[in-house]
Amino acid sequence: MKVAVHGVGTSHFGRQPERDLVSLAWAAVREAFADADVTAVDAVWVGTVFGPAGVAQRVLRAMGITGIPVITVENACASGTTAFAEAHEAVRTGRYGRVLALGLEQMSTAFAGAITPEATDPEGRSGLALPALYAMAAARYLHDGAVTPAQLAAVSVKNHAHALHNPRAQYSGSFTVEAVLGSRMIADPLTLLQCCPTSDGAAAAVLGPARPGAVGVRSVVLRSGAPWNHRSPHVWGHDVVRDTAADAYAAAGIEPADLDVAEVHDAFTIGEIVTTEALGLVGPGEGGKAAESGRTALGGEQPVNPSGGLLSRGHPLGATGLAQLAEIVWQLRGDAGRRQVDGARLGLVETMGGGVSVLDGNACVIAVLEAP
Amino acid sequence: MSAGADGGIVDGRRCRSCAEVSAFPWPACPACGGAVEPASFGPFGKVWSATVVRIPVPGRTPPYRLAYVDLDDGPRVLAHVQADGAAERVVAASIGSRVRLLPDTDEGDLLVEVVES
Ligand SMILES: [Zn+2]
Repeated sequence: MKVAVHGVGTSHFGRQPERDLVSLAWAAVREAFADADVTAVDAVWVGTVFGPAGVAQRVLRAMGITGIPVITVENACASGTTAFAEAHEAVRTGRYGRVLALGLEQMSTAFAGAITPEATDPEGRSGLALPALYAMAAARYLHDGAVTPAQLAAVSVKNHAHALHNPRAQYSGSFTVEAVLGSRMIADPLTLLQCCPTSDGAAAAVLGPARPGAVGVRSVVLRSGAPWNHRSPHVWGHDVVRDTAADAYAAAGIEPADLDVAEVHDAFTIGEIVTTEALGLVGPGEGGKAAESGRTALGGEQPVNPSGGLLSRGHPLGATGLAQLAEIVWQLRGDAGRRQVDGARLGLVETMGGGVSVLDGNACVIAVLEAP
Repeated sequence: MSAGADGGIVDGRRCRSCAEVSAFPWPACPACGGAVEPASFGPFGKVWSATVVRIPVPGRTPPYRLAYVDLDDGPRVLAHVQADGAAERVVAASIGSRVRLLPDTDEGDLLVEVVES
């Protein structure tokens, strides 16, 4: 069965320690239900990372979603898109007629600063906070001449400027390359404005059979990382995205050049650069140039992260993937307001979650969507 | 993952099927699932990439230097890099530098020193 996204919704994204998960999730679900013109679903998949046991049912009961199958999934930053991938499969195979995918996370009450990986792994035990893991990739790119500091900063400049047109974003601004590079050093060479903020938020999508007026799902692929080491010439996280993308493009019957718009995992500036290369949107070593030249900016040839991305919209882990999906759905329906990519017909969502030692990412999810 | 109190050597595994090396005592090869045998790696290796962590992390005092090190004929391991001066002058270890495993840090982490930059 062909599957469509009947409706999407999100909360505001930002530091919202005064709100609880019910309030965040309610904002997302209420909007998604209204958008889909439904009042109930047959099953729910929930993506969340740091929520306590039972968090999904605890939140859903408050909005009267009880007595149906509820399945919670965790795949680090790709938890929301994993919920989407599973919800999609449930509809595609006819297991359920209409399914809600919900992502939620409250980071501000759980972390004082950067996330560190699980302490039983060397990365967590040695104090390799997540920004430092990405800094390793950025440092290697600089060493190899595959990016310049100004190109790294250009990703931050671009995405924060995109978010000026996104009222749901955590923050935005007209930053200069100099301001980005001059902000506080977090982990060499990544500065503060090259790192996503600590965020709270929720996002949701209602999936069902293909129908007129709804954004169609051309493909969704989920893959977990294989060992990453000297056997790969690439930085951490590249190969899992490349391989997931190859499957997603094949299943959708498209080439990367066919895509009009993409929302990709830019938790750190280097992430967008490596990802656009791994997705084949640009050639090897050209991700930084693409941001600098405006190729991946709104108005450019292939805009990336028109929402502002994780860097500006914010990154409540479990919610991120479904917020990316919501943005692509709005883009493909022509509902993206001042950040609309004119005439967008084909869009891509990519999320990559990591933190497990040795592996090239815990999971990557890529979805290809098409305009109604 | 540990170089022990004497330093220099990391005990891990090598896959009998695909020769994948690992710094962990895992029962099967993480790349192919094949049978593994004990193997020792170190003390020398080369810096694949490096950074300096400048933000507070629980139980750590910034700044501190970390590197992914490809041990000779061995796995890629994460190690602290021995400090090289005052905190305000700390810089990341140079990529490509030769390093040597030292005894573990007090926290039980791998520690290397740069022997040739
Ligand atoms: Zn093997």
